[in-house]
Amino acid sequence: MNIAVISDTLASTIRIATPLMLMALGGLLCDRAGVFNIAMEGFALVGAFAAVACVQFSGGSVWVGLLGALVIGALYSAIFGLFVTKFKANNIIASIAMNTLGAGLTSYLLRAMFDVQGAYAPENINKLEMIEIPVIRDIPVLNCISGQSIVTYFTVVLMIVLYVMLFKTKTGLGICAVGESDVAARTAGIKPELVKWKVVLLSGALSGLAGAYLSIISVSQFSENMIQGRGFTAFTIYVFGASHPIFASLVSLLFGFAEAIGIRIELMGMAIPPSIISMFPYILAIVALAISSYMRKRKVQGVIKVKKKKEKLA
Amino acid sequence: MRTKDNSRIIASVETVAKQIVLIIIALALATIFLAVSGYEPFAIVEGIWNSLTVDIAGTIRWMTPLALSGLAVCVTYKAEVFNLGVDGQIYMGASAAAAVALFVPESLNQGVSLVFIFLAAMAAGAAFAMIPALMKVYLNTNEIVSTLLLNFVAELFVEYLVTGPLRDPSEGTNLNASEILSENTWLPRLSYFQPSTANVGFYIAVIVMIILAFVFYKTAFGHEIKIVGANPTLARYAGMKPKKTIFQVMALSGMIGGIVGAIEVTAVQHRLLTGFNPDFGMTGIVVTLLANNNPIGVLFSGAFFGAIHNGGINMERLTSVPSAVTDIVTGIIFLMIGAKFVLPRLKKLAAEKKSTGKGGN
Repeated sequence: MNIAVISDTLASTIRIATPLMLMALGGLLCDRAGVFNIAMEGFALVGAFAAVACVQFSGGSVWVGLLGALVIGALYSAIFGLFVTKFKANNIIASIAMNTLGAGLTSYLLRAMFDVQGAYAPENINKLEMIEIPVIRDIPVLNCISGQSIVTYFTVVLMIVLYVMLFKTKTGLGICAVGESDVAARTAGIKPELVKWKVVLLSGALSGLAGAYLSIISVSQFSENMIQGRGFTAFTIYVFGASHPIFASLVSLLFGFAEAIGIRIELMGMAIPPSIISMFPYILAIVALAISSYMRKRKVQGVIKVKKKKEKLA
Repeated sequence: MRTKDNSRIIASVETVAKQIVLIIIALALATIFLAVSGYEPFAIVEGIWNSLTVDIAGTIRWMTPLALSGLAVCVTYKAEVFNLGVDGQIYMGASAAAAVALFVPESLNQGVSLVFIFLAAMAAGAAFAMIPALMKVYLNTNEIVSTLLLNFVAELFVEYLVTGPLRDPSEGTNLNASEILSENTWLPRLSYFQPSTANVGFYIAVIVMIILAFVFYKTAFGHEIKIVGANPTLARYAGMKPKKTIFQVMALSGMIGGIVGAIEVTAVQHRLLTGFNPDFGMTGIVVTLLANNNPIGVLFSGAFFGAIHNGGINMERLTSVPSAVTDIVTGIIFLMIGAKFVLPRLKKLAAEKKSTGKGGN
């Protein structure tokens, strides 16, 4: 493998990881606030559709598409927020409902608005230019960081902002407090419902953006069910990343790398059937989930053991 | 004794009434949705009416897999295991069914070959369901996400089979499918409903429902499932083995999922192909939730969702309204079940009315 191939694979790693990272960042906030959210799949699907629709109606502006995806993703997640906070709905069922509804709504609107089935590409789209970083783009291997889309850089900034917000500010402390105990947080003067609303809306907006990345930046069309389980992978990512913004982002890079390697293998024409290669990210996600849950289990058992020991000593 | 019976009847009438209210609200919302987007507003109602009268055969065709998927989900929900992997089990069951059906000699008796096919499908479904069960019991993995992810693996596995080992070489590149199965492996269709694809699978669904109802309500095992679901710690103190119960319900669920796959392959499609499963497993969750996890009720709510699905197909054929609107109805019902807010609200409203009425007197 020469250096160009390595840098190419790394660049596509980052491209694949970006939407995963966005969804995982939104999801981990929900997790910290005690909302079980596996609805990112549905949010992102709606976002992807909204992006294409906005591009179409604005005459090709990707910026309008991205903004539209953010707003409509948040609006759509407001339904989830309403049911989770106000009606105390079972989070799991509400999440699945949002995914089903998202799939139904997007394929319905695809027919109703554009009169097509399966997929739709906007007539005119002014693709965003990729951003070249002056010095880095000339360094071999490292140049994979340069030449990415604005959304990717935004995601990296967001990761840092969320890290600071979550662990260094009162707001972040409030979010974690709500996740630990609704009642205790309320006693401390925090409104759990308000916090949950905020994180759900943020997760909706970020997932919407992730969808837009997939539909108007990666490719230039919306197709039915185009999220393909990335929302569930994002869930695995933040569980594996212990709901920590930076760890979760690193894990999404790992997932991106796995998929990029898969694509590379396919391009090299090795004798592995493409459907087997496509299984790879899912299997990796399952393995990651198994490992992280096992570690969590061990941790809990460890705590119990230590407690028992202390009790014995006392 | 009498009063107890009465209260049970009242309770079941109440549940049924609640379900009907939910359905009406969902249909009303869908109607508004259609009106807003400029379609014929009552198209969905017409479609469902159509599928209950003229095209009842289509409804039976769709209710079979939906009710069975509902039952597959129902078994695990009783034990508080959220198995969202029924779709994966269906894919695996279908793969095994197709593989066996292509393998058995053409001279073999139809009954015997069908027994082999269904046993293989059930085994494959159960084996696939064991993966999340093992992970849940030994690694404490969240079964919701593991099953969701495994669904994609199973779907890709079917794609691998029909593009690779089981591919029909005579097909062009546009259809990924296996060869058509030989006729001695076909599950008979219902002759009364010719030429629709309504099939004997319907009777299988009824039999599975009866067996499950018997197991749940009349056997110690059914009781055990309920207690493990309600309180695993208590179950352990009472000498039950919650871990074993999890394996058992997942295996049962996998077998039923496998049956769905086998029916779809041997009776409806007569071959294995990609995309034969329009998320039966996911709809199965709503089917069982709407029926309050009652196996007998699952048959009815399966029929309702069968009618909706078939109604959507009819509607798309007759009018220009896209059938995806039925997914929206499903989603809305899903949301409302999750919230459980409709009936309490109505009750409260009724109570308020009553009290104000009394005040007026």
